Amino acid sequence: MEEDLKTSVKGQILSIKDLPTLPKVLDEVSRLVQDPNANTDEIAKIISRDQVLSAKVLKMVNSPVYGFPGRIGTVQHALVLLGFNVVRGIIISTSVFDMMIKAMEGLWEHSLGCALAANVVARAAGLADPEEYSVAGLLHDLGKVVAAVQMPELHEAVSQAVREQDLRWFEAERAVMGFGHDRINAWLARHWNLPGNIREGMSHHHSPETAQLYPETAAAVHIGDWIVRIYEYGTGGDDQAAVLSKKALDMLKLKLSDMDRILDEFAGQLAEVSDLDMA
Amino acid sequence: MAETPFSRRQNAFLLSPDPDLAKLLTGLWPDEVMRFTVFERGRRAIEHLFNDPPDLLVVDNRLPDISGAEVATLVKSENVYRQLPVILVLDGSDLDHSWDWDQVEVDDFLVRPLRGEEARARVNLTMLRAMRALDANPLSKLPGNTSIIQRIQQCIDRNEDFALAYCDLDYFKSFNDKYGFSRGDEVLMMTARVIVNTIRAFAGVRSFVGHVGGDDFVFIMPPDLVEEACRRVVQTFDSIVPHFYDAEDRTRGSIVSVDRQGETRTFPLMAVSIAVVFSTGARRLSHAGEAASIAMGLKKKAKENPKSCYVLDQRER
Repeated sequence: MEEDLKTSVKGQILSIKDLPTLPKVLDEVSRLVQDPNANTDEIAKIISRDQVLSAKVLKMVNSPVYGFPGRIGTVQHALVLLGFNVVRGIIISTSVFDMMIKAMEGLWEHSLGCALAANVVARAAGLADPEEYSVAGLLHDLGKVVAAVQMPELHEAVSQAVREQDLRWFEAERAVMGFGHDRINAWLARHWNLPGNIREGMSHHHSPETAQLYPETAAAVHIGDWIVRIYEYGTGGDDQAAVLSKKALDMLKLKLSDMDRILDEFAGQLAEVSDLDMA
Repeated sequence: MAETPFSRRQNAFLLSPDPDLAKLLTGLWPDEVMRFTVFERGRRAIEHLFNDPPDLLVVDNRLPDISGAEVATLVKSENVYRQLPVILVLDGSDLDHSWDWDQVEVDDFLVRPLRGEEARARVNLTMLRAMRALDANPLSKLPGNTSIIQRIQQCIDRNEDFALAYCDLDYFKSFNDKYGFSRGDEVLMMTARVIVNTIRAFAGVRSFVGHVGGDDFVFIMPPDLVEEACRRVVQTFDSIVPHFYDAEDRTRGSIVSVDRQGETRTFPLMAVSIAVVFSTGARRLSHAGEAASIAMGLKKKAKENPKSCYVLDQRER
């Protein structure tokens, strides 16, 4: 029974045709792509704040049509390779949520916060290409968004379990469906040919030690998720305290005492973005 | 000179026993745009066709000695003639039964009664489409050699100021040897995208990008913008290309392979070299070949640098 549910959910998840986003970032990017003098860096900076738009450009540039699936892991590179016309096409064909806006705002802030935090962690750990850790952080809860769009009833059942049984969202997902958004993330990332490090960051942030190829990405996203919950910026769907895995710190050769510096750095960056309202 | 969509006069063969059709078709283009040779029988025309292929073949399905489909198959089954556009002329009743267009590989068909204007438009379109399809690089789909040379010649004929940049990749071969052709193709697709989008980002500028083949690309830009374009291509390529290597090689910044002599050799990551030739003011190129030979000399200079770089033609301008 559980396997049947998983198969049918997977089918529904992967058949997603129209993934909406929140209006604020979309409006801003829409204005920019009307301006022929707008430069790619500017557009990339704004798209990098929105998990849905970022997912869309990365999915497109990693599709077999372009001939290099699974190679591109930053929004900046994706935009350069797609070109202005294609990016404008993506933007004008993207719709906005007509419901759930309030619920989604919290998730958008949480994702943006996690992107910043994962980036700070990666830098502190001296890892190469820290921008890719931001992307993994930004997309770490994308499965929740896609589930909300494709299976609103299940999404509501999870939400109810969170409220009534005082569970974390992740626990509620497993109680209701038998699997969590980490699994949904893995399906999406593989189906969209996202690079392996982004995929494992998305699908192993709850248990970084199980990541096969890119444990650093999974660990950085895990710690990022923990940090953003401490600061209570946005919400991942519940208000439970998060658990920091000691293993994740070990994997990045970070000590608990390093966290002071990391938290300070994160707080500074958060201050820069937190006065942007998402909707 | 009459208005023409073609770069030179086109030679066409019409295989038809129908004098009215011959009269109508030959009257649609002035002689200096398209010249028709009419054959009333099919078989006799075939040897001519193979010896001296025209630019267009129009076959009437009313031929008494051979079917139009058979003529088309003869032409299309030989790789050296495949690119010749073939148009079949049918009677309405020929369409009463269905055709297997996978077997009859014509490029288009016309149905009697023909309307002159429409027939001319359909034939022109078919020919241009065939040229584009033939010349496009099969991997990147960018215009190939014929279009590149045509475009250079066009710039020269119009007395335009232009800069012509030749790009290729250093250490592409060692990458291919280590990672295989399909990984090599990924890099070529990426390079094509980088060049195309960099050039197109200059809004409102007449420009052109072509793919000579393999890791050789060409772009044409106004002279005052070309250096900035080169800078951007180099910068973007260098930031993206490491991601096409496996993590270990990327971290090391080089690939290690064993050559045929059994010696271990180290190769840097791929880089892009660009040689730019100008045609401006007093120093104008006289033909496309001249540009290529100057560029080859510059290329050598660019190649002395293992990193990505561009070299501008410094002759008196």
